[in-house]
Amino acid sequence: MRRLLRSTIRVLVSLTFIAVIVLVYFKFVTVNPTTVALTLLLAVLGIAAQWGLTESIIASVAAMLAFNYYFLPPIGSFQIADSQNWVALLAFLITAFTASQLSIRARRRTAEADARRREVERLYALGQTMLMSDSVRTTARDTVNGIMRTFEIPGAVVFSKGENEFFRSDPQTQTISDEQLRWIAGSEEPLIDRQRQIAIMPIRLGGQVLGSLGFIGCTLSTAALNAVTYLVAIGIERARSLEEGSKTEALRQSEALKAALLDALAHDLKTPLTSIKGAVSHLLAKPRDAEEKELLTIANEEADRMNQLVVEVLEMARIEAAKFHPERSPHAVGEIIAAAVQAHEEALKGRRVELHIAEPLPPADVDFEFIQQVLKQLLDNAVKYSPPGSPLTISAAVAGERIVISVTDRGEGITEDEQTRIFEKFYRGRASRDHVLGTGLGLSIAKGIIEAHGGKIWVTSQPGKGSIFSFALPISKEELVR
Amino acid sequence: MSGAKILVVDDEPQIRRMMRATLTSSGHQVDEARTGEEAMQKFREFLPDLVLLDLNMPGMGGLEACRAMRSGSDVPIIILTVRNAEKEKVEALDAGADDYVCKPFSMQELLARIRAALRRAPASAESGPQGFNSQDLDIDFSGRRVRVKDKNVRLTPKEFELLRHLVMRGGKPVPHRELLQAVWGPDYGDETDYLRVFINHLRKKIEPNPAHPKYILTEPWIGYRFAMSENSENE
Repeated sequence: MRRLLRSTIRVLVSLTFIAVIVLVYFKFVTVNPTTVALTLLLAVLGIAAQWGLTESIIASVAAMLAFNYYFLPPIGSFQIADSQNWVALLAFLITAFTASQLSIRARRRTAEADARRREVERLYALGQTMLMSDSVRTTARDTVNGIMRTFEIPGAVVFSKGENEFFRSDPQTQTISDEQLRWIAGSEEPLIDRQRQIAIMPIRLGGQVLGSLGFIGCTLSTAALNAVTYLVAIGIERARSLEEGSKTEALRQSEALKAALLDALAHDLKTPLTSIKGAVSHLLAKPRDAEEKELLTIANEEADRMNQLVVEVLEMARIEAAKFHPERSPHAVGEIIAAAVQAHEEALKGRRVELHIAEPLPPADVDFEFIQQVLKQLLDNAVKYSPPGSPLTISAAVAGERIVISVTDRGEGITEDEQTRIFEKFYRGRASRDHVLGTGLGLSIAKGIIEAHGGKIWVTSQPGKGSIFSFALPISKEELVR
Repeated sequence: MSGAKILVVDDEPQIRRMMRATLTSSGHQVDEARTGEEAMQKFREFLPDLVLLDLNMPGMGGLEACRAMRSGSDVPIIILTVRNAEKEKVEALDAGADDYVCKPFSMQELLARIRAALRRAPASAESGPQGFNSQDLDIDFSGRRVRVKDKNVRLTPKEFELLRHLVMRGGKPVPHRELLQAVWGPDYGDETDYLRVFINHLRKKIEPNPAHPKYILTEPWIGYRFAMSENSENE
């Protein structure tokens, strides 16, 4: 209605303009017809440029008629005597048409540029809204609100695949259904329905599908839709990496805290033990009588046992705190075995230790100290749980991608139901828990160490005949460091 | 070997009390310091024959104190610590310590270590080579000097003794036990991990490529060997 009124007013103003020109030249200023024609042409051009085709065509017809009637002979009639005057008329029409087309196109360009500029401004505003939040959920919620506010549309919805959640501007309406959103996220092809004014875009970043984004009552250009979707993808991915980053950081801090606590605990437990052990061992060097010697020996042994317990409990805690990272490099298995056997020389006195080390044996990718500790533990157990003087066997060979090291004893063996339990923390073998000293932690520590190397440890045993403890270690891909 | 002046550095009063009582009754003269800073002062005033140094102290830690003392003196330093990790040992030896004892320890063990540390290496008047010379390595026993590619290399007394003993055996394999007893003393012999740390350390200082040593070679199951001529480098 307003548009019609505005056009009518424009047409009337145009006609008045033409009439004024005709009136001035006809009544007050006498010039030749060419000047009149040029003036009218300028007027038509101006109207076309300013208002458009309809106004300019009406103006040019009016100008042609007035020119014909008032200035072309025979004056006072609409007849055209000279055929040249048709040219003037045609010029009016062509000018009107061309000029109006040009101006319309220019105006459309300006309008488009304006729209683009507004879209960019809105995208910027939306981007700022989204980058304020630091979790995927708040980002999705902010996105929905931000899209509605900045693009002035009635509704929006975000489907986040990672969370498997829908974030709707209005949870009641299913103008865009959950299934549609899920389907678009899966199909990765956008759905733009201009008729129903809805659009569903898959949210993707670097080939990864993050979810989908729905617009309700939307008249945005495809380019704008793509830009918004891209922005949302970046926002969600940013929030997700922030979430993960803070989780990793929290984990790292708690690990560092645990490590510091364990160190402090080790220090505080061992300091009093150091004074006790020092004092007792000094007195034990020159006891006054047999009774004193016996009592001091007990105190000394118990201080050792207490220390062993502290060491093993802390070691177990350290391995479990995931703080334990073996420093791996290529090592000759033979050297590790040699070091462990040498360290146990005293305990192995009077026993035959057979070595079966396959040649050639590739180096193992291990932490020398820790694997030596495992071997010492197995040797320690073998000595404790087999009759004095019985032989032990240590063997090493390649099995597939691994090196398997075994310690065999001729002890009492381990029953089947105990074979897995002995690797549990604080578990002590039933038959021996009363007469063999120990904490029940040695094998669980060994298991922790081997597993931290990506290997495994197991036992096979025949009750009455003996046990074979074995562990598998990764082969080093690198050359041996000597 | 009684009557040595021993400086005990520990922040724990009970440990200092216990050490003073036991060391004094073993015939030593004892002074104490509670911190690294105090240790440095006592080190200059008391002029100890040996230092027992705790690693874990507030303020100037044991490692730093060890480095500071070592920079101007060859006084034996034994590190006492509750930690028993190879990394700690390497750090302590790096800082110039002679020995490393884990808490808790028996006094007999500590006294043996003190005796060993105080026992000065015998003068190199023995028979055998007086040094070693090659293109990039120059060892002089009497001057206690080692040069690698014409640059002086600083070895701690224990490192030097270890190297000297290997060279003296003229290219023959030297068993772990023999090396430990020759360098640290007769009470040693099982500390093969200990030897490994020192050998690695020595290799880093004198080998052109410590990962592929050409002088200090490992003899699996036996010990170590110093390669006198360069063509014996193979293994």
